[in-house]
Amino acid sequence: MYIPKNLDDALEYLDKNAPDAIPIAGGTDVLIQIREGKLKPKVLVDLSGFRNQLSYVKRIDGKIVIGALTSVAELDESFLVKDKRYLGFADVSAKFASPVLKALATIGGNIGVAVSASDYVTLLHVLNAQVKLVSVKGERIVPLEKLIVEKRTLAKEPNEIIYEIIFNETPENSSTAFMKFDRREMIITGYVTCAVYLQLKDNIIEDVRIAFDRVSGRIPGRAKKTEEFLRGKEFSLDVIRQAYNEVLPTEMKRKSDFRASAEYRLDMSKVMMKRALLKAKSRIEGGA
Amino acid sequence: MAQTQAQEYPEITITLNVNGKDYTVNVKPYERLIDVLRYKLGFLSVKEGCGRGECGSCAVIMDGKLVPSCLVLAVQARGKKIITLEGIAPPGKLHAIQKALLDTYAMQCGFCFPGVIMAAYYLLSKNRNPSEDEIRYALSGNLCRCGSYLRFIKAVKLAAEYIRKGQIYFDLKK
Amino acid sequence: MASPQAEYVKIVEEMFEKKKEFWLIGQYIQRWDALSKMLGKAKFTADYAYLFKNLVYVYSVRAKYAHARIKRIDVSEAEKVPGVLKVITHKDIPGVNDVGYVLPDQPLLAYEKVRYIGDIVALVVAEDPYVAEEAAEKVYVDYEPLPVITNPLDIVSFGGLKEKEHPLIHEERGSDVIARFRIIKGDVKKGFREADVIVEGEYRTQFQEHAYMEPEAALAVPEPDGGVTVITSTQCPHEARRAISKVLGLPFAKVRVVVPPLGGGFGGKEDVANEIGTKAALAALLTGRPALVVHKREESIIGHSKRHPMIARYKHGAKRDGTLTAVEAEIILDTGAYASLGPFVLWRAIVHSAGPYKIPHVHTEGVAVYTNNVYAGAFRGFGNPQVTFAIEQQMDKLAEELGMDPVELRLKNILRNGDRTVHGQLLDHGVGLEETIRKAVEATDWYRKRAEYAKQTGTIRKGIGLALLWHGNSIGAEGADYSSVTLIINRDGSITFRTGLTDFGQGAIQGLVMIAAEILGVPPDYFRVEQPDTSATPDAGPTVASRSTAMGGNAALVAAYKLRQRLNQVAADMLKCSPEDIEIRAPDVYCKSDPSRKIRWVDLVEECFWRGVPLQEFGYYRAPKAVWEDETGQGEPYFTYTFGTIVAEVTVDMETGKVTVDRITTVYDIGKVINRVGAELHAEGGAIQGMGYALMEELVHDENGRVLNPNLYAYYIPTIMDAPKEIVALWVEAGYRRGPFGAKGLGEPSINGIAPAIANAIAHAIGARITSIPITPEKVYLTLKRLGKIKL
Ligand SMILES: Cc1cc2nc3c(=O)[nH]c(=O)nc-3n(C[C@H](O)[C@H](O)[C@H](O)COP(=O)(O)OP(=O)(O)OC[C@H]3O[C@@H](n4cnc5c(N)ncnc54)[C@H](O)[C@@H]3O)c2cc1C
Ligand code: FES
Ligand code: FES
Repeated sequence: MYIPKNLDDALEYLDKNAPDAIPIAGGTDVLIQIREGKLKPKVLVDLSGFRNQLSYVKRIDGKIVIGALTSVAELDESFLVKDKRYLGFADVSAKFASPVLKALATIGGNIGVAVSASDYVTLLHVLNAQVKLVSVKGERIVPLEKLIVEKRTLAKEPNEIIYEIIFNETPENSSTAFMKFDRREMIITGYVTCAVYLQLKDNIIEDVRIAFDRVSGRIPGRAKKTEEFLRGKEFSLDVIRQAYNEVLPTEMKRKSDFRASAEYRLDMSKVMMKRALLKAKSRIEGGA
Repeated sequence: MAQTQAQEYPEITITLNVNGKDYTVNVKPYERLIDVLRYKLGFLSVKEGCGRGECGSCAVIMDGKLVPSCLVLAVQARGKKIITLEGIAPPGKLHAIQKALLDTYAMQCGFCFPGVIMAAYYLLSKNRNPSEDEIRYALSGNLCRCGSYLRFIKAVKLAAEYIRKGQIYFDLKK
Repeated sequence: MASPQAEYVKIVEEMFEKKKEFWLIGQYIQRWDALSKMLGKAKFTADYAYLFKNLVYVYSVRAKYAHARIKRIDVSEAEKVPGVLKVITHKDIPGVNDVGYVLPDQPLLAYEKVRYIGDIVALVVAEDPYVAEEAAEKVYVDYEPLPVITNPLDIVSFGGLKEKEHPLIHEERGSDVIARFRIIKGDVKKGFREADVIVEGEYRTQFQEHAYMEPEAALAVPEPDGGVTVITSTQCPHEARRAISKVLGLPFAKVRVVVPPLGGGFGGKEDVANEIGTKAALAALLTGRPALVVHKREESIIGHSKRHPMIARYKHGAKRDGTLTAVEAEIILDTGAYASLGPFVLWRAIVHSAGPYKIPHVHTEGVAVYTNNVYAGAFRGFGNPQVTFAIEQQMDKLAEELGMDPVELRLKNILRNGDRTVHGQLLDHGVGLEETIRKAVEATDWYRKRAEYAKQTGTIRKGIGLALLWHGNSIGAEGADYSSVTLIINRDGSITFRTGLTDFGQGAIQGLVMIAAEILGVPPDYFRVEQPDTSATPDAGPTVASRSTAMGGNAALVAAYKLRQRLNQVAADMLKCSPEDIEIRAPDVYCKSDPSRKIRWVDLVEECFWRGVPLQEFGYYRAPKAVWEDETGQGEPYFTYTFGTIVAEVTVDMETGKVTVDRITTVYDIGKVINRVGAELHAEGGAIQGMGYALMEELVHDENGRVLNPNLYAYYIPTIMDAPKEIVALWVEAGYRRGPFGAKGLGEPSINGIAPAIANAIAHAIGARITSIPITPEKVYLTLKRLGKIKL
């Protein structure tokens, strides 16, 4: 365990010692990985010491910026969960692990984990989020979609840390929603999860983005063909049905495992997509 | 933490404030907060049910937030203020939530209780009039296999009532 | 019975006949350990680690394969790791290398073979728990993998339950079928010829994990005489002592087992306690230092017994008016790699395999077989929840087929006073089953909801379903069935209470204290319940089979009765009235006829002391002998039965298949409610555990016998958000003459009927039946999809 004096110190230490040294934020994933013998770091670099510095949700120049060390509990206290456009954050939080973990788990860590069950990643995908990475060499901004390349693999240098998450403010006639369900209510992975961004004008779908825990790979991704099909159409159950019955299956390849079959997962992707879109629509119209 | 050549690491000295008192302890870098609380400082109310953040038995309050002490490394808790079940009421007193759990006859094996009480205590510290749904949510990370769940809901409501009436502590002698 | 009745039987019957007024029994009383637990002061086994110095830590090296021959075990590298004191293998065992519970089939440390993924090949003992775990990686075992069998249908097949050709898992036994039981009554062929309607079905139940919140733990301290004291989380201290003595080669008297409060047990802390206690004891003796074993959750899940999965085929026949004519069943239980309590579990399953009904022609038969899965043993319900799941769905199917209401069909066939069970046992009194049905139906507005929900359309649908259950009390023909309690009235009037029965959380001991308190006239808070300790508490038999209240209760009753007789004599002397006139209500003792003639309880005790009247008593009770005819299953398997009716109300989301349980109503005939708080908590806890069993829980093995979900994240037990909105617990008190004040057991029955009631409610909601648990959203949804009942 290395306890850096400040962020610069952490970056310098990482620069010298990564990948033998890896960062730990909330630790809710790292410690489980180590416990299961899947990760054997020589040193953990504790980022929690400067949590305050990297914990924020701000509006800057038409952008929303979230510090990587912002915890789920802190996101709950931010304006995001009060703004109807970003209620997807409230949805993620409501089904995130359990209240016992919310103060530890960070949004940066969620990206760092980079698995299909990284719920914030699924949501951030529909917001076209970008990630600012920082190292001793400087900083760079990469689209989240490019950053996560495979399960537990980020296109980042070991000496870089996730600094903040950035996405554009969305128009007033838009909203987000996130769906997750499993055989029990909490402490779940979700059979499937689905996030949507919907922008409606006179009931016409001006813009839509749909992400799932998995589309074809093993990481969260967008159902872009389905989005394309919906864009510009009038919002109706029939259209949504057509989208998920005719288009979604052409781009989604679900897998079976001991928890559920591919068939069930595909069908539930349809149901979750429908429900998420209906929820987003109702939010745009002023509902919850 | 298995594969870390446990013996090789030097100990680190940290200071913790538990239930209002400062403690200075030497810990191994891989040692968890739960182990320090239990085995170095003797706060045995903190229970380990899973060691993986899944059951809530080890929940404590750290700097005002509910956390699973099994997923916090002791060094990460350096300088922090911790509250455990031992510290929610003055000596000789019961906190309203403990009184309410007695009043509703919720006790079974009791292994989950310290965590349940801390989660309820945390909820009540923020919400003096929680609804049934809010209570269910607030306790949803605390598994109770004996199944006292419905009593927990009644007890938290009752405790909230006590607290609203200004009755936060009760004498131990009934 | 020809032989003169034992004194204790007379006492129990006398109290049942005479005592009609109660000041404590049936009241809401705070349990004796509630406060210490509420304050976080109660010490569970692992907590003792804080109180000992110089501990050594034991880590179990487990199998890499679920079935393999061990060619060589090399611990030399592991022993070189700094901090490691010793690595123990089978060669270091001084006594007999076996911790099997019923059959001697389970080595503590595997030597020739490993048979499941939790088998232990070595124990690493180190100065630090992390070091122990780390060094475990350096224990090298040369394995020759063998074919892994995870499906019990690879061992036996339906249509006779004959053992198939297969590579044996237990060569030493010559067969992988560990037990076979049957009930044969009348002539089923004839019964089916007489039937107007026949329904058949195959039912499957899963491995259920106890998931008690406290993982297993044991701390052993070497004693100067070469013996050992073991503090351990066990339901059966005397059983644990037997196992430890056997493995260590020590006389029982040199092994002391002490049991702190248990963080749950549910049957799971029976056999594994033998294993864990023995591991700690071995390490303590071999290192001369106190040794601690605490299982991690992942180890707990792969390394202790589970509820037996069942595959069963049932066939029921009935007349047009609903009268049952015949039942036929073949039942297969998967006992995993070791027998554990499997033979007994199977026996109980078979005894209950026809349900609480009168049926003229019966042929049910079952086997328990080995596989390479995690071994299965005792779990609340003990074989009965499995068969009840099948029987009660069969009954509903029959009702559908006949166009009858499920309640009416059952009322036509249930056991009532004066009826004979399918074993030929006469139930001459104490059968309150019909009343449980009537109460449940009334409390839930059954007929209205049944009719109303049948008309639903739409995505969200409600359903209501019921299930009956019965449960033989105590261990019946499984073994010696006796119990004991020691009461000591101390000179200050406080009372020491001792029994070898354990309280693993559900408050069993509280009922015993209340029985003693009721009779003595001394409030429960005068009592101190001692920890079970094999050196201080005589064997009271195992704390299993819902036997605490009935068996332990009788022992407490007998001890208290005898003390009370003596106390009454002395008090009568002091107060100058007749012994029958004495009323004790500590702190006072007075004459009923003239309450102003009064002394204090402490003075009465003091007087007894000076007069040399003994104020300690040992209460003993032995159950009537069970009778079981192996070939036919005829006899009297249990001395009495608990009965019950469960009604479940559910909501089903047809699009996702997700089921929400809204309300569970339980009505149990437990003879007499002794400890009302405990009874209610049992009803609620059993309902929630049963709901988990019905809807979400399942331990999954892959084809190599590895457990895919050894944690509480992927093994789903209900959270508070899954718990029903309401659990209504109602009681019927159809008194059993030889129970304490008429009481019967509730520990296990409280889970038996939950899953079938939920399954029947789901079938009612969706118009389709799912015959395997857990009834996951996927099963519901895909069933509806296949039937064309849902289209996205
Ligand atoms: C019981 C349980 C339930 C869970 N439920 C959910 C759930 O419902 N939804 C969900 O999405 N997740 C869930 N998780 C997973 C986990 O809690 C989340 O992914 C969480 O957001 C991780 O954040 P953390 O700060 O704890 O990450 P850590 O464990 O500290 O780190 C995770 C990874 O990210 C890296 N990392 C962390 N921060 C940075 C940074 N700033 N820069 C570079 N790398 C970094 C670490 O090196 C590590 O590889 C659950 C975990 C548990 C134990
Ligand atoms: S022990 Fe920490 S959450 Fe279970
Ligand atoms: S009381 Fe036993 S786990 Fe909650």
